[in-house]
Parts: sequence; C-alpha cells; structure tokens
Amino acid sequence: MLTAIRELQIPLLAALLLGGCLAKAWRALRTRSVTAAMVPTGLLPLRVRRPIMVTMFATEFALGLALIATAGRIGAAGPGLPASIVRAGTALFFLVAVGALNETRQRRPDAGCGCFGEFSETPIGWRTIARAGVLCAAAAATIGLPPLRMPSSPTTAELWLATLAFELSLIAFLSPELGEVLVRLGYSEPCELRRVPVGRTLTTLHSSSQWRRYSGQVSAADPADVWREGCWRFVVYPGLARGRPVDIVFAIYLQARRPPIRVAILDADTDEVLGRPELAILSLSRGV
Amino acid sequence: MRHLAEIPRWCDDVTDSTGPGRFARRSLLKAAVLGRRDEPGHPLAATAEDIEAAASTLVYTLTGRILDVSPHILVLRTERGEQRFPLAANAQAWRGGPVAPAALRQGDHAIVRRQLPGGPVVDRIWAQMGRVTGTIIERQGPATLLVDEGPAKGRKIVIIAAEAEGRIQVRFPRLEPGYLIDVIGLKHDGFLQALVPATSQPPYRAGHPPAPPLVSGHVPDPVSGTAVWHEPGEEPEGLLGLAYPALDPETSCERTGSAASACSGEQHAVDPHAAGPGCVRLPYLSVGSMLRLRNDCAERSRLLPVTSCGATARLFCDRCVTCGTSRKGRIADLTMAAFVELGGALEAGCFNATMTIGG
Repeated sequence: MLTAIRELQIPLLAALLLGGCLAKAWRALRTRSVTAAMVPTGLLPLRVRRPIMVTMFATEFALGLALIATAGRIGAAGPGLPASIVRAGTALFFLVAVGALNETRQRRPDAGCGCFGEFSETPIGWRTIARAGVLCAAAAATIGLPPLRMPSSPTTAELWLATLAFELSLIAFLSPELGEVLVRLGYSEPCELRRVPVGRTLTTLHSSSQWRRYSGQVSAADPADVWREGCWRFVVYPGLARGRPVDIVFAIYLQARRPPIRVAILDADTDEVLGRPELAILSLSRGV
Repeated sequence: MRHLAEIPRWCDDVTDSTGPGRFARRSLLKAAVLGRRDEPGHPLAATAEDIEAAASTLVYTLTGRILDVSPHILVLRTERGEQRFPLAANAQAWRGGPVAPAALRQGDHAIVRRQLPGGPVVDRIWAQMGRVTGTIIERQGPATLLVDEGPAKGRKIVIIAAEAEGRIQVRFPRLEPGYLIDVIGLKHDGFLQALVPATSQPPYRAGHPPAPPLVSGHVPDPVSGTAVWHEPGEEPEGLLGLAYPALDPETSCERTGSAASACSGEQHAVDPHAAGPGCVRLPYLSVGSMLRLRNDCAERSRLLPVTSCGATARLFCDRCVTCGTSRKGRIADLTMAAFVELGGALEAGCFNATMTIGG
C-alpha cells in the first residue's frame, strides 16, 4: 500500500511542475517580461533577476520532464541512479522553495508567489508555504522507488484513485490559486464592465414602449447628452411639454433582453421634475 | 481611428469638465430619473446642495502664490486677492524636502492646509511641488528623461536631481524607455526636478500591466485601492475632483486616446486605453459622476465629482503603504486640492482609499 502511494507522487509532481511552467510561460508571453511573469522579483538584485528567473523556469521544466522520463524502466535501468538524482533534485527544489517563500513573505508581504503565473497573485500565506513543504516530502518519498507499473489488481487501482483524490484535495486546499481558476471557468463579464456601443443603447430605447409614449414630446433627432454610470446609460433629449422647454431623461439598463427603462421629464430652465413615473431607489449595478 | 466628423456631439470633451455645464447637471438628471439614495446613514446620502458643495467647497485647502512669509505669518495671493494666515507653532513646509516655513520663497506656488476646517491657522505648506507619472519614452544621459503622461496630459521632462539619484534608482531600477516612472519633485519652467520616488517601479513594461482578477456577479461597491494625485495641468488649481481610470470608452476617453496615439509616433509611447482595464476592475462611469472617496489613513471622506480621464492610472499595478498595505491598483487620481482636502500628504504620493460609487 505504501509503495502505491509513493508511486503516485511521481506523475503528480511532474504534472504540477509542468503546469507551473505552462502558466508562467503564458504570463511571460502576455506581459513580454520574464521577471514580471515570475514574481516575486524584489528579493533579487536587478542584474541577476532575469538569469535566475530563467534558470528557475528551466530547472522546473527539466525536473518535470525528467521525472516522467525516469519513471519507467528506461530511467530505472541498472542501479536507478538517474531516477534517484532527479527525485532528490525535485525534493531539493521544493525545499529551497519553502525557504524562498518564507523569506518573501517576510520581506514582501504584498507579493504573490508567482508559482502558477497570474493565478498566483494572492499574497503568500501559510498555505502556499505548506504546499511547497508537502511537495518536498512527496518528492523525498519517491527516492529509491522501483520503476512504475500499471496497478496489478483492481484493489491497487482503487487505492491509487483514493490516494489521488485525497492528495488532490489536500493540494487544492493549500492552493489559493484554485479560487481564481474557478472564477475564470464560470466567468461572465458584469454589466458594469461590459462595453456597450451607444448605437445599440439608442436602438433599444427607440424600440421600447417608453420611447413610443414620450417620443411625441421630443423636439430633436439626436440626444443632447449621453453618459453612463455602471449598468445604466442615460440619454437626454430636448423636448416640449405644454409649451415649456423640457429635458426628457431616459435611463436604460445595459442588458441584452428586455432592459428596464426609466423616464423623467424636467423643466429645462428650472430643473423642476414634471414627470417621473415608477420612481424607485435603484443601485447603479442592480436592475429592477 | 474615428474621423472627427463621425463623432456625435454628445461625446464628452473632458477639457470642458470643470465648467458648470452639462457635466455638472448629470447628477441632478440621474437623481430625477433613478431617485436618490438618501436614506439616513446611507454612505451615498447626498442632496443637490451636497453635490453642488462637493464640487466647489474647499474647507481645509488653499492654493495661491506666496507674497511673503515669516515664522508666524504667511501672505498668499489667492483667487480672493491677498490673504494673511497665521502659522501654527508646529507648522511644516515642503520645498524639495522638509524646510522651515520661513525658508519658502516669494513667488512660489503653494498649496496650503488649514489646521481646522475653514479656520485661519495654517499647519502644512507645500511649495513648487510637482509630479510626473507615466511612461519613459526617451532618456538622455544618466538623469534626463522624457515622460509621456498619456493622451490627455502630454509629455514632460524629468531631470533627476543628483542628491536624489540613489534614492530614485533603488525604487526605479529601470530608467529606460518603455518602463513606468512616478516621481515627485520641484516644479521648474519646462521640467520637473525629481526628488522623491512616489511608488516602486512595476516590473512589467508600461503597455503590459497584469490582468485584473475576474469579478463574479457585480463589481464590489465600495472598492478599495490606492488614491494618488496629479498636477492641475489645464484644470483650475483649486479644483475638487478626480481623474477616473475607467471612463466609458464609448462616450469619454477613447476619442482623445486614439487621436493622440496616432500622432505620437514613438515606439515607446503607450496608449493606456489600449492596455486593458489595469489591475483593478472598476465600473464604467462618465465625467460628472459623483463618488464618495474615503482616505482610510486619515479617516476622512468627501463626495467628489469625476472631472477628467485618469486612464494612465490603469498602467500602475501598485499598492500604497501609507497606513498598512492597500489593495493592488489605483482607483482614483485626485486633483492636488482634493488630495490635501482628504488629509493626504502630497510628498507621500498616495493614500489607502475606499471608493463608493454613486451620489
């Protein structure tokens, strides 16, 4: 049973190392800066920042690949020395990470670890340090293992799966990045942040019942003012009501289907509110 | 780029934002159509008078030109003419660094803080203070930089003072084209003599700030982050307001941004409108929108109008550490008068802030 648990660590460690590399590479491509992709950089003098970050990335990538390459019979042929070296190197890598994270936490409490690129911007806490410690222990546990094989029986396979589920849960619990990933998976831009062309807002307004009701009082083809606050866009038309110049203000909620529309009519000279049907206290971001 | 002829007449011309025109009327129109959040105790409770007062009244701050100064009296030429102010016994002054009030010079432009709201006694004076915030686009020699402050503000020359070189290099290790700079110093004709770093240099190139965390549901209100200040430029010196980093691109900043970047030509100039939302997600607003901004360090808050475009603030993904560590990202770029009015120290460059949107 213990051997099965130890064997599981090798693919898990390789997946985490290579996943971290992919996330960092993605961020480096986006920001066009190696050091920005691998925060925290404030611990290092400027001239050595870039080479150390590149070395760290290369080491992580090489260890991930080497763990896979030496896991089977090829790497473990003979005395199994290459496999042991790679696994001991992985344990050492995570041990150094524990120290570096602890040091960074003390000197730059606002910095994220950058372990998984832009997902790792949460300031370093005990969970991040504990995760590196757990991975260090996992890597140390693999030293001296024989070549990996497929599970020999259904019982062993079940044990593998149970161990995998437990360990993934533990890593998820220790990973502040998980929340960020879950948000991205189910993400839909809030209406306050959605860019909506003015033309579309005007089309929506002009096809609404409120427009049909008040368009007879509008005295100009174009709005006098258009602005936006959060989820609401405001459109002001000049108009005439009972012979008085008025401003007709429409507030259109920025949603695609059946947006709420509010109307108010103000005296253009005195700003007295002449008509304001269905007034309600509304938030800038919530609909009615 | 949109052709000028295609721009509708309702597009915001932010240079007109300080006038009493349509921007100042927007809060009134919004309140007429959506109602006002004026429940007792609500953070956004505001009457029309409040809104009008918010846009015009300075109770702590004065700006003017120094006519005379002694250890006990400061004489300023302000908008109201020549005025005399007694100095508090513990009054502090800044002119390139902390100095005795009597060391200030005649003719200096000064921003002054009263000890009590509306009171006559003055306890802080900042003279000839300036700030440059933007992207380095050219470097000449070891200490002269040309900095692009964005389409709305143009370019400024920064000369790093010899005595401040080490201090600035520590916080801004990359004084190279394409990287960001934010420095405070003494204003001279045509250039800023940089003396104090206003933040630490972000490690990324100016045009590539990190993406902000995604927001599920609605944008949090209130939102926390860093509030900074900017020089008045073409705005009135005593203007109480702020440059907002996320003006609606359909009606506000975008027009200015596109035109300016098309003319710039330099490879290192960055159009902040094209650099993404920055590292804090803020709801789109417009010039004239009202915000309640709270200085978390001084525990003082004010209702302020959005008076200009602060897109350059989006490039800075930094934190303020004036009192504790703020959340990442700049949420407001205040006028000098508003910054002092909220209890900020100009030489610190920022304060930790909480912003409630609405009014």
